[in-house]
Amino acid sequence: MKEKQQEKQQEKKYAPEISQKEIDELRESIKAASQKVMADNIARMKKTSKHRAETMQYFDEVADFFGKREKEIRTAKEAGKKVIGYTCLFAPTELILAADAIPVRVNSGWYDTSKLGDRVVPVEVCPVVRSTIGAKMIGLSPYLEMSDALISVLTCDGMTKMGEILSDYKKIWSMPLPRVKDSAQSLRFWREEIMTLKDQIEALTGNKITAKKLKAAIEKTQKATKAFRRLQDLRKGNPVIMGRDAMLVNQTYMWDDITRWTEKTEKLCDELEKNVQEKKWVCPPDTPRVMVTGTPMIWPDNWKLPSLVEEATPQGVLIADELCSGERLLYDPVGVDEWSMDDMFNAIGERYLMASTCPCFTSADGNEDRINWLLNKVKEWNIQGVIYYVVRGCMLYAMEYTRVKKVLDRINMPVYYLDTEYTREDVGQMKTRVEAFLEMLTARIDF
Amino acid sequence: MMIEILAEILKITVLAGIAIAGILVILIWKKGLATKVTYLRFVVQAASFIAIFYIFTNPIQLLYVIGVIFLIPLVLGRLFCGWLCPFAFYMDLITVVRKLFKIRHRNLPEKLNKFLHNFRYVLFLFFLIIPFILYAIDPPPTLDFGIVLALILAGPFKPLSVLIGPIITLIVPWKGPLEIGGLYFSYPYIQEILDYSSAIDLSGTIGLVLAVAFVVLTVAGSFLIRRVWCRFCPTGSSIAVVNRFRGFKWAPVLHLDKDEEKCTKCGICKRVCPVQVTEIYEQKGGKITTSMCTLCLRCVEMCPYEGCLKLNMGKKTIFKSRNWLKPTESE
Repeated sequence: MKEKQQEKQQEKKYAPEISQKEIDELRESIKAASQKVMADNIARMKKTSKHRAETMQYFDEVADFFGKREKEIRTAKEAGKKVIGYTCLFAPTELILAADAIPVRVNSGWYDTSKLGDRVVPVEVCPVVRSTIGAKMIGLSPYLEMSDALISVLTCDGMTKMGEILSDYKKIWSMPLPRVKDSAQSLRFWREEIMTLKDQIEALTGNKITAKKLKAAIEKTQKATKAFRRLQDLRKGNPVIMGRDAMLVNQTYMWDDITRWTEKTEKLCDELEKNVQEKKWVCPPDTPRVMVTGTPMIWPDNWKLPSLVEEATPQGVLIADELCSGERLLYDPVGVDEWSMDDMFNAIGERYLMASTCPCFTSADGNEDRINWLLNKVKEWNIQGVIYYVVRGCMLYAMEYTRVKKVLDRINMPVYYLDTEYTREDVGQMKTRVEAFLEMLTARIDF
Repeated sequence: MMIEILAEILKITVLAGIAIAGILVILIWKKGLATKVTYLRFVVQAASFIAIFYIFTNPIQLLYVIGVIFLIPLVLGRLFCGWLCPFAFYMDLITVVRKLFKIRHRNLPEKLNKFLHNFRYVLFLFFLIIPFILYAIDPPPTLDFGIVLALILAGPFKPLSVLIGPIITLIVPWKGPLEIGGLYFSYPYIQEILDYSSAIDLSGTIGLVLAVAFVVLTVAGSFLIRRVWCRFCPTGSSIAVVNRFRGFKWAPVLHLDKDEEKCTKCGICKRVCPVQVTEIYEQKGGKITTSMCTLCLRCVEMCPYEGCLKLNMGKKTIFKSRNWLKPTESE
């Protein structure tokens, strides 16, 4: 009986038959290609601007998937620390930190692995999901490999099934998300989910989440938000940091040590403030100011749109974004009223559910939170054009385009719908499209 | 003799305590803690507490305050409730004690809170007609109805004095219901409860029982539920009455204002509100119109989006929510 159960557990539900030899070969070749891509991306980022901040050096290092940070986590893991991965920014990082575990976000941006994912799911599926499945198949992403459990938040269709598919390899904690956020019962439901997650994390790590520890964790992320907001505010004026650099800073938060990340970001802001005083702009101040919204863009491969925008002629500069891999990761702080366990959980629940502008929510007012977010960004950051970026298969973002377009048209803000895939083949075609858009923006500014 | 000395000591301790608290608060404020408004509010509340104790030496004088209380809200909304009312000060102090014990607060069910919102007016009317009810039960031999009507402003039952209920402090400088060693102790509404029940039971037992029950209920209630009496308070409802009618919505010059585009509906404002005002969260933007809001400014203080919530005086912004994680704030 017991044997039968074990057998059943080992039975792979989705994973394709693939030999160890093939896995190793694929991993080595994709890893080598990926390392080249990362080095290339960083070199190009350095080349784009003369006045690139020196502190960015640190983020360049951390951005390396197979470098310093990987070794650090490995050593910590050997010392008994647990690593908990998450696929969506709805996962409450504070709980992971409070249990003295390391949170890492494991979505994959590798183009090559999305081809491997095709063996499991059809090509129509969102490439972020396919790529993550592919990366897991060959064990490419070190953070995904090292995580002891994976928090899978059931947001969009892709994410919902991805957890199930990955359960062949990992322990998965599913967190269903209510699709309507503006109601008392949704909040109650979500709070229950977080309480359950707390028990699971405690069971895995063996550390109890006490009020004191949770408070320290919340303060830690609040400080990170503080540093992040400082960086955002610096981008309101003339461009002092390239959009790609800022995006890289945001993305490294997903796997870096949060205290150190905060310190370095504050240091970066100090340096940028000095640059502002010395009027060292990274590009001419009349460069078109562009904002990106839509599907998440994930380091290292899926970096083509920001690279294209900032290397195009005429050049554009990314000032803000509304991506769940970018600014939405850190924009909202956990606001605690009273430091009791109860209120801290309320605050965490509300921060992750209510403040989110993910299109997976539906409401009669047309996801107004997201619209307001965009309008506020456009006004406060003096955006001159919006690129609506969607990868094929990302239904929710694609469907909301009409709504966003209507609202932005009303305030006379040019918006451009750019759809693409996890592939390098359409770079030339995309370049033409992006340059035409930037050309138009420049003409508007001159006019 | 002994008791009188003790009473004097108590009197001095209370004053010294309040003074020390004030100094502490100023020190904390100077250090620049992120939650300044709450501390500032405590200073103002303590100051108002002392002022009421020293300036008003009998309850009739306090009745003049009612006149002011009726006029202020036309311009300032319920600022009095949030910042000056001594009963609210007690409830806030009890809240501080609860926080020290790390006990969580409860909320009234939203529906009940909404119901109380309107029920306060019924309560208010009830207090006003009590003298007439008492007249019907037990007509005084020498008074006719017309004189009772005249006694609305002065006389044995003083129905209007119910309005000064929340302004009564713990130790009153006038002849209060309980005397220990030359000090008169009172508690909000106790005098009224004793007065009214004396009409039914002259020996005063019922009055005493009711008074003790009231004290216990409000202390225990505000220990669990923040600002519990504010949801019943007839004085508060009388203040709010002008703001409820459509034609008068312009009236409060001091009001909360919300910027729709900056709001992400994170719900912090709703959660931190001590009287559970939901309008601040539900209304889309612009002027927040509700008679429940006591203008304690806790929501403005906690809102993490710069300039999203504002306290406006006419068109001028006095205080607005800030990026409360801004680096200029202390760690």
